[in-house]
Amino acid sequence: MGVVRLAAQSDVLSAIVAAVLALVGEPRLAGTMTTDSPGTGVAAGLAGSPDTVSQAWVARLGCPGAERDAAAAELHDVLLRVARFEIRRRQAAFPNLSGADLDDLAWQSADDALMSILRRLGDFRGHSRFTTWACKFAIVEAGAKVRRHAWRGREIPLAPALWPILADQAPGPHQYAEARDLLEALREEVERLTARQRQVFVAIALSEVPIDVLADRLGTTRGALYKTLHDARHNLKAGLAARGWAAPESGGDWDHAR
Amino acid sequence: MVQDLVGPTDPELSCDECFELLDAYVELELAGADAAAEMPLMRAHLRGCSACRDDHDSLVALLRADPQDLP
Repeated sequence: MGVVRLAAQSDVLSAIVAAVLALVGEPRLAGTMTTDSPGTGVAAGLAGSPDTVSQAWVARLGCPGAERDAAAAELHDVLLRVARFEIRRRQAAFPNLSGADLDDLAWQSADDALMSILRRLGDFRGHSRFTTWACKFAIVEAGAKVRRHAWRGREIPLAPALWPILADQAPGPHQYAEARDLLEALREEVERLTARQRQVFVAIALSEVPIDVLADRLGTTRGALYKTLHDARHNLKAGLAARGWAAPESGGDWDHAR
Repeated sequence: MVQDLVGPTDPELSCDECFELLDAYVELELAGADAAAEMPLMRAHLRGCSACRDDHDSLVALLRADPQDLP
């Protein structure tokens, strides 16, 4: 089975590389590594010296022919190990999945990560090592797939049913009364949100539904949903402030100016 | 508790912007630099977005792991 998979891997990688290059065009991939300082203070000191290993990765993945296929195969091996590492970290979310299922998930993550990396090779600017830049694609792919599997078949809570539970988490009578008043104010402000903002806030912030899971269910993107969540939170904070509640300067929770 | 629900009060990045900077941010942290001070918008987003925070924590764990421990 391992031999079959290795042979299949080679074919799949060749197909992936060919498909990506057909989409983006080879000139964009060649010689795109830069050692320029980020210029914005981001990663200053990390990108200052030439990183020959990173340059070699980009050069090999950007050149046509067998060398690129070999580099893609090496990178896929790295991404597969990273995906397995990430899935193993999150294995508690998979009580009903077998080891074979999880390994398939790791392979899918590595394949998708490699596709993204090859498509976006020209975006690498050397603000980190190439391997760090590449590994984040595998981490994000594996993490999203883990969350989707963990929520497969589960109902998404879209109604706010958790307020009493939240109030009960207060440590003492005074804190309970304060938390109850604050939560009541927040609950009323949630009712003033638009239907979409309320739906997203309840699912993500109150019910802790993973944002990419909700994005799939609602047919949108993680970025678009976070914008909606951000707008909802902005309105909630403004509403609480108008009621006399003050945001904490550092640590703690909102306090009422009495 | 409510602070966690209503998210950061500071300006923050989007999820896409966070992804673009994640590798540089994590390398800064692991190099001992004050990444949060250098990239405050990133810090605010990681406080407010649990999915991006998970990705950040995973990348940190990966880079801290012994290569021999990778499956």
